[in-house]
Amino acid sequence: MSPLIETIHAVGLLTCFALLATSRIGACIRWLSFQGILFGMVPLIVHDDGLTARAMLLAGGNIALKGIVFPWLLLGLRARADFNREVQPFVSFVMSILCGILILALSVWLTQEMKPALAKAPFVMLDSSIFLIFIGLFLMISRRNALMQVIGFLVLENGIFVFGVITVVGTPLLVELGVLLDAFVGVFVMGIAIYHITREFGSMDVDRLTELRG
Amino acid sequence: MYASQSIIAALALPLSGALFCLVLPRSHHVLKTIVGVSAVELLLALNIWAAVLGPKGFVTAADQWFYIDAFSSFHIVVLTLVFALSSAFASIYFTHEADDLVFTTSIARRFGVLWLGAQTAMLLVLMSNNLGIMWVGMEATTLLTAFLISLHPSRLSLEAMWKYLIICSVGIAFAFMGTLLAAASIQSDGGIGADALFWTKLASAEAHLDPTLMKFAFVFVLVGYGTKAGLAPIHSWLPDAHSQAPAPVSAMFSGFLLNTALYCIMRFATPVRQALGQDFASGLLIVFGTLSILVAAGFIVFQRDAKRLLAYHSVEHMGIITLGYALGPLGSFAALFHTLNHSVCKSLAFFAVGRLGQRYGSHEMHTIAGALRADRLWGVSLLISLLALIGVAPFSIFMSEYQLLRAAIGAGAWLTLFLFLAASAVVFVSALRHMINMVFGTASRHDRGGRDGKLAVPIVVAAAGLLIVLGVWMPLPFYHALSSAAAVLAVRP
Repeated sequence: MSPLIETIHAVGLLTCFALLATSRIGACIRWLSFQGILFGMVPLIVHDDGLTARAMLLAGGNIALKGIVFPWLLLGLRARADFNREVQPFVSFVMSILCGILILALSVWLTQEMKPALAKAPFVMLDSSIFLIFIGLFLMISRRNALMQVIGFLVLENGIFVFGVITVVGTPLLVELGVLLDAFVGVFVMGIAIYHITREFGSMDVDRLTELRG
Repeated sequence: MYASQSIIAALALPLSGALFCLVLPRSHHVLKTIVGVSAVELLLALNIWAAVLGPKGFVTAADQWFYIDAFSSFHIVVLTLVFALSSAFASIYFTHEADDLVFTTSIARRFGVLWLGAQTAMLLVLMSNNLGIMWVGMEATTLLTAFLISLHPSRLSLEAMWKYLIICSVGIAFAFMGTLLAAASIQSDGGIGADALFWTKLASAEAHLDPTLMKFAFVFVLVGYGTKAGLAPIHSWLPDAHSQAPAPVSAMFSGFLLNTALYCIMRFATPVRQALGQDFASGLLIVFGTLSILVAAGFIVFQRDAKRLLAYHSVEHMGIITLGYALGPLGSFAALFHTLNHSVCKSLAFFAVGRLGQRYGSHEMHTIAGALRADRLWGVSLLISLLALIGVAPFSIFMSEYQLLRAAIGAGAWLTLFLFLAASAVVFVSALRHMINMVFGTASRHDRGGRDGKLAVPIVVAAAGLLIVLGVWMPLPFYHALSSAAAVLAVRP
């Protein structure tokens, strides 16, 4: 099983760097969809007990939501704002890539710190999950477009999903379904919020949201 | 009696009420529905409370997935009380909205659905025994309440809503990390059952938790839920959301949403103390609590908007409650007492500022001048609630803060004590300065306002009465209820 995990790890890192370097929102959404499908497969291969119904349900639900439904919703939202389809970074693309490399180093170090306490979790997946969480946070704060904040949030969500799958084997299905439902409603709510913001401000730039302070 | 059924009923009622609101033909029907539902909820909560305080000490339902002890039942009572008061106030407030903020039927339906939905979600958080379901409920409160902030979409309210949504979603995601780590900490010890994430299991002495993972878990939980609880330095969404939301929503946010998040943190604190000893959890709680009090005191000095002022007061009081939980059993007792006092007082303050804001057409503090002359009822409410908030003597907040001081002295936390007193002095002086102009100044231009309706006086009397009565006299059953709630948090040998 191990080579497949390492492939997912490597390709997963590439999707993150692609997200950091892409300037078109549509392309970012497609990278996100690919990443969702990629990491959605983790529950199927990470445990030795084969293809249980539970793992299939979990993987299927995740791939359907993060690979298909969310990107579809986001692309629909992007279509409303046809005046500007660039991500407009606060941090330039080159700097973003450099930050990505720093974050990668940080996540490897953190993984090494946490590994002794989590004996069962495969190292590369633990590293992936922590890296995804940090990249998600970085995308949220370094991009001007509101859609990119949702994309960043979903990258973070991917990281937490992977972390949950590799560290906790027996969480009740009810809880996991609740988590999926919350992610679904969350993106839906953010979508409606962006719709209202676009209508009111004529733009998805979050740096216009600066009237409240103090 | 019938306590288990009460639990199911208390969850089912607001949920069905929310769906019912979707089909109601007029906005005042929605308002009547939420008043009715929240009044019944309060009775159900009192019923559950009475059962919990009986000899058994807890109530369960649905095969232990719902588990209520003295600590959660106290929070449930405060929650339903705040909702009952705020719902009654909403029925007054929304009939007097300004022309550009008309409370149309579709807005009313949206309000009803989200309001009762938020109540269901918060009850789910308080009643659930499973830390995962607790998290699901907490995330649901974020999603449901986001559109309550921008009930009337405008540039400012959308900005506040977007910040709230994004910051709290990230916070809640961190809390989920913490929950996963807590689950992983049991697992490293062997098998994991369906009841593994039950906090009754985690907090029991038999749970052998991995100390390193529990340490990570608590940090994530504290930062994650702390974001939602408005603890500094991760409180930045709070003043925006509180100032832009309609007044009943602000009252509910300040009066209970923040406490729900703090409740979750404390649920984790017990197993953490079990696994790591007292010092780790208490130390972190003291740092976040004190920092919140100090930051809030700094911002209160410079406020110009009345609702932002109250929002920073919430940060301060959340800090005080957090501090209390860190100071041993006596501190926990004070913190719980303070929870009730602050929730009632802050709701009353938001009611008063909300109605006065409607009459003066602004929430700027220099515009709301001479409220006592302009509007007797809400002027008096503003006076009482602000005096109580800054800890003036006959009111119950003074009593709970006094108990907190005693706990701090007992625990020998001298630096904390000094910082707390210094910050309280700053808050006292600057809030008093703000208040004197608002309440006693020469009345500036205001409209006559509409009639407040039959519910206004009972709301004010109930809230102010509670603050005064509990300030001078603590009934013995109430004392016992608080003591047993504080005892839940103590570490079992």
